[in-house]
Amino acid sequence: MATQETQKLDNIIASRRAMLLGGGAALAALALTTTAKAATTVTTYTDADILNFALNLEYLEANFYYMAAFGTTIDKPNAASQAAGGPSGGIGIGAGTATAGITATTTGATVVPFTLPVVKSYAIETAIEEGKHVIFLRGALAAAAVAQPPLDLSVAAFTTVANAAGIAGTFNPYLLDPFFLIGAYVFEDVGVSAYHGAAPLLTTTATGKAYLQAAAGILAVEAFHAGLVRSTINVIDATTGTNYSALTQQISALRATLSKAVAPATPPYPTGTYGDDVPLTTNTTYSLAGGAPVPATTIVDADQTNIIAFSRTTTQVLNIVTGGGAAVAGTKATGVFFPSGLNGTFS
Amino acid sequence: MDKTKQFLKSALSRRTFLAGAGTTAAVAMITGCSNNGTITLPVIPVIPGITPITDADILNFALNLEYLEAEFYLRAATGNGLAAADIGTGAGAVTGGSKVTGLTAAQQSILNEIAYDEQQHVRFLRSALGSAAVSRPAIDLNAGFSGAVTAANSLSPASATLPLIPTGFNPFGSFDQFLVGAFVFEDVGVTAYNGAATLLSTAGIAAGYLAAAAGILAVEAYHASYVRTALTGITINQGYTAYPYALFANRVSALRAALGGGNETPLGGFAAVPSTIATVGASSIVSSDTTNAIAFHRNTDQVLHIVYGAFSPVGGSTPTAGVTKGGFFPNGLNGNISATLS
Repeated sequence: MATQETQKLDNIIASRRAMLLGGGAALAALALTTTAKAATTVTTYTDADILNFALNLEYLEANFYYMAAFGTTIDKPNAASQAAGGPSGGIGIGAGTATAGITATTTGATVVPFTLPVVKSYAIETAIEEGKHVIFLRGALAAAAVAQPPLDLSVAAFTTVANAAGIAGTFNPYLLDPFFLIGAYVFEDVGVSAYHGAAPLLTTTATGKAYLQAAAGILAVEAFHAGLVRSTINVIDATTGTNYSALTQQISALRATLSKAVAPATPPYPTGTYGDDVPLTTNTTYSLAGGAPVPATTIVDADQTNIIAFSRTTTQVLNIVTGGGAAVAGTKATGVFFPSGLNGTFS
Repeated sequence: MDKTKQFLKSALSRRTFLAGAGTTAAVAMITGCSNNGTITLPVIPVIPGITPITDADILNFALNLEYLEAEFYLRAATGNGLAAADIGTGAGAVTGGSKVTGLTAAQQSILNEIAYDEQQHVRFLRSALGSAAVSRPAIDLNAGFSGAVTAANSLSPASATLPLIPTGFNPFGSFDQFLVGAFVFEDVGVTAYNGAATLLSTAGIAAGYLAAAAGILAVEAYHASYVRTALTGITINQGYTAYPYALFANRVSALRAALGGGNETPLGGFAAVPSTIATVGASSIVSSDTTNAIAFHRNTDQVLHIVYGAFSPVGGSTPTAGVTKGGFFPNGLNGNISATLS
């Protein structure tokens, strides 16, 4: 229940949020990253707009993991997902509380023919959790929930991203365990930075605080997922002599480039200069307890001075998930995984 | 004082209720504030034992936890703790901890990373707090771990899926034991930062504290994920009969649940024998509620009970007020958030 006083508080906060949205985080006394901030034309928005932005990303992630783990999109009843704890009738994808909607495009996608039990186990867990995030956000938004936008999780879409990152040939994340992990890598750290960027935008009303607690909780889960993916790629490389971490370096370089909200130039992008995206490495050097530098991994994707995870604006996230579609301010971003763009205010 | 400052000050005061009082109570207090049409500061009831907390108090609470984590990981990775420049004046002593023996190069690199991350969190928080930063409290890794093992083992008798943690457990004795030791801390860090995020003031949010806390929350979740992934992966591949460390971690998880208001997801997805593609099910890497898959959050009291390893000043099995020290912190935390209020 908003009193006059709390409403006025909200007004102050809303004006601050408007600054933050445009990249005003740099105004903060504790400015932490050197991330390039893109201009945006969205100046007024609600908590629901922010949650709907997150919902678009959850639709994307959930459909990818459901496809990889269970072989169908989230809206389809599936015995395998039910056995793992998913809803019996599929997950609703229509606007508001409507269940029917536009099924994601999955040309060439199949359930992954897993050969590593650990990777299959992780895929099932992650699919169920991302599905629950969709259900939770739709439940919280109720009639205000946006429908699932047209999604493209086809092999061709992933190939487009991989090629843009300088990874030649067809890239099929549904083909092999490590390819699935690389496909997941494309999304997970982006989810962390998106929720991180969104959290301070929520209002400080009682409802907004409840949303903040939920957003912070989902942020943590996305970081659990990201850590899982990166840890597993690391252990596969360490135990089998492969170098899949090199692919993460190319993808991170692409994300850091797109995060500047410019159209992608000619790949490959320079790896080693991380921008706002630190890939999985095993040869970083850190100085511990005042001693000489020692070799270290980078399981964590965070700024290298304070080890605080990166934060991205909605525009930066849009540009990443659309492969450069947000390069022109004020124009709806479309491309790659979102061929018709996102639904909602932040698009 | 202009109106803007009045608004911010009133928002700041409200947060007092959140510390230890729980979100529900706080919401009730906020919505219950009178509105007489003028802009005045709300009347704040005096609650015995609760001093208004500030953003600095919250950050110092986090700093105490970072000191603990940094000392654990730095000692595990290198044998040495935080440098003198990173602990403040009059810092407490650290007891226990040594370089983990028998690490592969890949394992050493992981320890080095996490140790660095926690060291930088200490430096960041000390820098952000400036002269308000508390010094490192006394930390006892020996008593903390041995107390946790004793308490965890006394919770329930040994069973096939929840064996007792062996006498002589030493988190610095091997990589596998180190993982269990790290497990003691990491999920606590996630729930603590998650709980603290909503305590920060409106002014603090504008100043970037929330963004920083959320960013550190994410890093703690990356760490927790690494530890849980490593324990789970080895157990899926070997079975818990051959590799019981994930079950030891689950006994720790049960202790944290008892001390910290539930808020735990035990490890899972493995069996007594090695799993195959045909038999393997969902893992439990993520620690979150089972309905919405949203990570848990704890209030400061719940975190204090866990790191002090104590339900009440006189033992028992129900968390109560008045616990001021114990476990990893023989003299308690430094700063204004150090005694349990519930």
